[in-house]
Amino acid sequence: MTEELFNQEFKGLARPLKSFLLRMTASLADAEDLVHDTYLKALNSLPTFRGEASLKTWVFAIASNLAKDNARVQKRWSENVTDIAKEAALSNNQFFQEAMNIRMTSPHGQFEVKEHIAFCFTCISKSLPLEQQLCVFLKEVYDFKVSEIVIILGVTEAMVKYYLHTGRSKMITLFEGRCALINKNGVCHQCSELNGIFNPKQDTQAELVKIELVKEAEKGDKEHLFDLRMQILREIDPLQSKAADLQLHHLEHNRQVMEKYLEKSTD
Amino acid sequence: MTTASFTQNGKASTVKTTFSRETSVTIEIEADPAIVWALLTKASDYPRWNSTVTAIEGTIAPGEKIKLKSTLDAKRTFTLQVKEVEVEKKLVWGDGQGNRTYTIKKNDRGSVVFSMSEKIGGFMFPLYANMIPPFDQSFEQFARDLKKESETIMRTK
Repeated sequence: MTEELFNQEFKGLARPLKSFLLRMTASLADAEDLVHDTYLKALNSLPTFRGEASLKTWVFAIASNLAKDNARVQKRWSENVTDIAKEAALSNNQFFQEAMNIRMTSPHGQFEVKEHIAFCFTCISKSLPLEQQLCVFLKEVYDFKVSEIVIILGVTEAMVKYYLHTGRSKMITLFEGRCALINKNGVCHQCSELNGIFNPKQDTQAELVKIELVKEAEKGDKEHLFDLRMQILREIDPLQSKAADLQLHHLEHNRQVMEKYLEKSTD
Repeated sequence: MTTASFTQNGKASTVKTTFSRETSVTIEIEADPAIVWALLTKASDYPRWNSTVTAIEGTIAPGEKIKLKSTLDAKRTFTLQVKEVEVEKKLVWGDGQGNRTYTIKKNDRGSVVFSMSEKIGGFMFPLYANMIPPFDQSFEQFARDLKKESETIMRTK
């Protein structure tokens, strides 16, 4: 492959790559750095690219390897990250002032429940062991086949299947226990609460029932509900969506809160 | 001493002698040995797939101590030591009373034969033998759960 063709193809890959790395690091700055590092490493290794896998698979393999060495990727968050972050936000006036400012001034500052569902998944998925988190994102959100993930992660097909299954199962159990959208007794209503704050004139219940995940909740098919949640993530580009700026601000906040929380826990 | 007979139907058998008791179960699992091994060695994940285990704390690695809670005796926590680890082949844990051995063998059909056995005993065994509940049902359930979960993972597309 020529350098010119590679540059052209890489441009098309840069967006999904950056969104993948954002979801892995929970840091826009780290995601941008990792995209840049991936580009340089891929460019330098271009003579070794033989086209046995697609360029997308090859580039994501380089990115995943770089990501595994990133300190923010390596940090495992708590399953109840959203509770911890909520408590911190409630005692932080500046957070709400900044968020409201983004809401009022940014063209990417809208609040949408679907966007928050995707954001919430990103945060909670950081409680998974790294291999499980990588497999779930690569397969469920970035559409890689198991055989491609084998190449990306350099592990056997059996282990990809194991990580994928256990990661999915844990996330299904976690959301089943927490998310009020799919479980009437769920303890977390943050997406509805925030919709009330950022869209005070909107009927939140009316907004919620427009979402397929909520419509299907009563049927109780956990696997299907997880697939619908993944569909929401696939449809949202966290860097370009109508709510991107607001959600990135929120993500930055949650990451900082978790970093402090993890620091305290290890003291 | 009589040895426990091994068939692959998931039916447990127990052999009793004056000073020991050995329960065994063997089942064929249509999955890669790496999957069966991963399930057997990830302590914290047991309660998710194994209905006979309510909790395992610790790391399943050579020489490590683990704390196991089982449905066999819900009030008791068993402190066990991991005595032997042969990756994707053999795992042994136990305490002063006895050892539990898990083995995984590939067969020529591309499946694996999973066996688990536990032998408890010693000179004092006759004194407390009646206080130990039978393991057969629990072993059969363990083997069924492992087969189901391994084969579900293997079918992932």
